[in-house]
Amino acid sequence: MKVVIDGELCHGHGRCYMLAPDVFEPDDRGHGVVTRAEVPDDLRKQAELAAANCPERAITVSE
Amino acid sequence: MDDTQGAGIPMDLGTAFDSETAANPQPMFKMLREHAPVLPVAGGVIISRKADVDEAFRRPDVFSSNADALNIGNIRPLIPLQIDPPDHVRYRRLLDPLFSPKKMAALESRTAALVHRLIDRFAGRGACDLVTEFTIPLPSEVFLTMFGLPLEELDTFLRMKDGIIRPDGDQEQQAATRRATAEEMYAYFNKVLDLRETDPRDDILSGFLSAELEGRRLTREEILDICFLLMIAGLDTVTASLDCFFAYLAQHPADRQRLVDDPSLIPNAIEELFRWETPVTGVPRIAVQDTELGGTAIKAGDQVMVLLGSANTDEAEFARALEVDLDREVNRHLAFGGGVHRCLGSHLARLELRVALREFHARIPSYSLVDGTALEYTAGIRSLASLPLVWEA
Repeated sequence: MKVVIDGELCHGHGRCYMLAPDVFEPDDRGHGVVTRAEVPDDLRKQAELAAANCPERAITVSE
Repeated sequence: MDDTQGAGIPMDLGTAFDSETAANPQPMFKMLREHAPVLPVAGGVIISRKADVDEAFRRPDVFSSNADALNIGNIRPLIPLQIDPPDHVRYRRLLDPLFSPKKMAALESRTAALVHRLIDRFAGRGACDLVTEFTIPLPSEVFLTMFGLPLEELDTFLRMKDGIIRPDGDQEQQAATRRATAEEMYAYFNKVLDLRETDPRDDILSGFLSAELEGRRLTREEILDICFLLMIAGLDTVTASLDCFFAYLAQHPADRQRLVDDPSLIPNAIEELFRWETPVTGVPRIAVQDTELGGTAIKAGDQVMVLLGSANTDEAEFARALEVDLDREVNRHLAFGGGVHRCLGSHLARLELRVALREFHARIPSYSLVDGTALEYTAGIRSLASLPLVWEA
């Protein structure tokens, strides 16, 4: 599964790496970064939780 | 907006809402969303629907946060709040790393020590006024620590902050106090910056002095404008958040007991309390061109008050929006605003709240409001005049 953060929309709220630390981490500015090119299925729930909580709707989860 | 249209309702939330509404604003927000989502007031509009709030935040070129949106005694725009794109991001690239989650994590143990130092003074007494003894001093002491200043400066700090945010007297006196305090604040930080220039330390002021903005150092004026913003944005907002959260927990013992029994719930509970309480009720913007929002025309020059508290309780966005659920899974709240001006200090605020809630409840797990207390909230920034608590010492 692929997880992408739209860098234009992300403004560094930080909810993604708080909720899904196995999928995201903060960069130096505190903006989220996806840590894996391919996200394993067992992390789907974490990734989707982060996407559902992003105040800027910047995260997409796809196959 | 025609001035007469909004006659009677002021733009300033501090005077628009009475104390009853400030204490329980959610029903008023609901009424606004349902009947007047873009409410005409003197000088502009108040917007209350999540969808309109999202849109305003996504169009900072139209809904500007420039110095016309808010003037509180500063002689130049506050950095970065009152700088619009494209310059804005240059400052954020420089400032965000100084307030990043990693940098803030390094403050955790010092923040915990400050929390315990304050609790030590009243824990054995079985009673305190949490506002004067905890929620006011804590954020300023954290700042003093970040600035590398001694805690003895607390009274000076509090006086400067209050001189800007809540000056006494009529409008004219308030403006005069703000101007005088602003000058004092510029002079105060100038003096400390002179010291740090010759003798740099591991503190945030030294960080400003050595930071580079596209290959150049920040000017002294730029650093002062940043310090000014930090003082007015980073102190009362955290105090208000602590006030709102502890007042809620004092009145909802079952929720409080859950946090005592399982402190790992605290981070999620904090997000839900941010949503429900929204300590910063609204943020001001100004339309810099004719536009529309939610089908209502807005004219260039109109002030736009963005009601974060209403967006955060909008049923169109949140399931069971008017219930507090510490386990809420989906919570896209905007308590820190949104878009390019998302609160620079949000990671610091979260740290302070997390440490305060965790350490306080470890020391004083059960407490209640003094019988007969009527809590008085300030409108706008929802701080309390006093929060008298009692417990078995």
